[in-house]
Amino acid sequence: MSNVCEDHVFSKVFKTHSKTVFNYIFYKFGNEEKAHDAVQEAFVKLWQNCAKVSPEKAKSYVYTIANNLYLNVLKAEKVRLKHADSLVKDRTHESPEFLMEEKEYKKKLDDAINALPDNQRTTFLLNRIDGKKYAEIAEMEGVSVKAIEKRMHLALKSLREQIDGI
Amino acid sequence: MQENYLAKWLSDELSEEELREFKSSEAYTSYQKLKEASSRLAAPDFDADQALQRLKDEHIDNAPKVITLNPFKKFLRVAAVIAVLIAGSYFYINTLDEKVSTEFAERSEVVLPDDSEIFLNADSQISYSKKNWDNKRNVDLKGEAFFKVAKGKKFTVSTDHGTVAVLGTQFNVENRKGFFEVTCYEGLVSVTHNNKESKLPAGTSFLVINGNIVSAGTPDGSAPSWMNNESSFESIPLKYVFAELERQFNIKVTTENIDTNLLFTGSFNNTDLNMALKSISTPSKTRFTIDGDNVLFYAGNTLQ
Repeated sequence: MSNVCEDHVFSKVFKTHSKTVFNYIFYKFGNEEKAHDAVQEAFVKLWQNCAKVSPEKAKSYVYTIANNLYLNVLKAEKVRLKHADSLVKDRTHESPEFLMEEKEYKKKLDDAINALPDNQRTTFLLNRIDGKKYAEIAEMEGVSVKAIEKRMHLALKSLREQIDGI
Repeated sequence: MQENYLAKWLSDELSEEELREFKSSEAYTSYQKLKEASSRLAAPDFDADQALQRLKDEHIDNAPKVITLNPFKKFLRVAAVIAVLIAGSYFYINTLDEKVSTEFAERSEVVLPDDSEIFLNADSQISYSKKNWDNKRNVDLKGEAFFKVAKGKKFTVSTDHGTVAVLGTQFNVENRKGFFEVTCYEGLVSVTHNNKESKLPAGTSFLVINGNIVSAGTPDGSAPSWMNNESSFESIPLKYVFAELERQFNIKVTTENIDTNLLFTGSFNNTDLNMALKSISTPSKTRFTIDGDNVLFYAGNTLQ
């Protein structure tokens, strides 16, 4: 059986999950530096306890460590996300008015995302950016799939309300 | 619409009917735009290779892994327990008193840490604390011993009959059942018996028989006679003489028709049993027979 103590197994686990750990903490607290630190801390702990943690458990182990790290310690800051340009390059949409509208919409979306409760924002972004399934997010957060669906539903609802100004 | 339908819509879990219904709602366009726009969001750059390198450089290569640390920790734990045990027993043994004892027909000499000397007569025992000797010169005595005390701090001899305290002198203490005698040969000895202190100048004795202080004769010479293999008595009840005889020769003395409270003055040799027996029987006008280790004293005119 493979062991996390073996260098190649550990490296593989790191490459598979470190970015999600980073994003997870970043979505939660909006602090890039702390997100980097969380990755280091979580995986150092994993390495130190590699004999006790099986490769299958490694994933939830690092999320738990990272999550507990700043629990009740760090105050959420503004989450600054990047907006990729629309993949569909529709020339008719490149009018100055449209670009202006796009820019405004992006700002509204940013504000609305930041206005979400931490757990809703994390769930929303893990799904939208990292493409995580609800079941995966539920595992990371240690809650039921239904609870994640609820957060997602509420997140979408408040984002729309905020953006549309309802 | 089912519960959390927005979440279900995002994950394509709505039924066709529900989807149709949702699409016809006025909010749909907003949600559709939200879905699209959010799919183009991106998190800050994260370089996994770089992060892994940092992890290895900062934490792993420099810090020993716990698995390699564990056996060492176990070893430390065991080592700590052993160290405590060793230190504890060393301390305990150190605090134990030194003990010297003699059996019947045996004598011994002890040199104390300050060069004071103790000569133990037969069936006697002394104990003292070697470690604490410099602070407290105290010897517990059972039986009889002759002390040559080097000058220095107060020197005490503790017995169950009383305490003998001196500064630097030569004296003999005999502490037997019902019999307590201190004889001073040099200097000044202080004897505390029943909380009463008596000063003994050189050449005097302090004698207690059965709890009564008895005036004792003056000792001869500069050391007790037993130091010269002789046991001397001056007006001492016969039973203590017989007890001493038993101790010196490791024999059993029995008497028949003899009043053992009669006082005896005289001495016997500690090396020759026959001579010693004669030395006792003649002045006390008794006779004796020997049967192995048993000696029977009987009144002069009952037998024969």
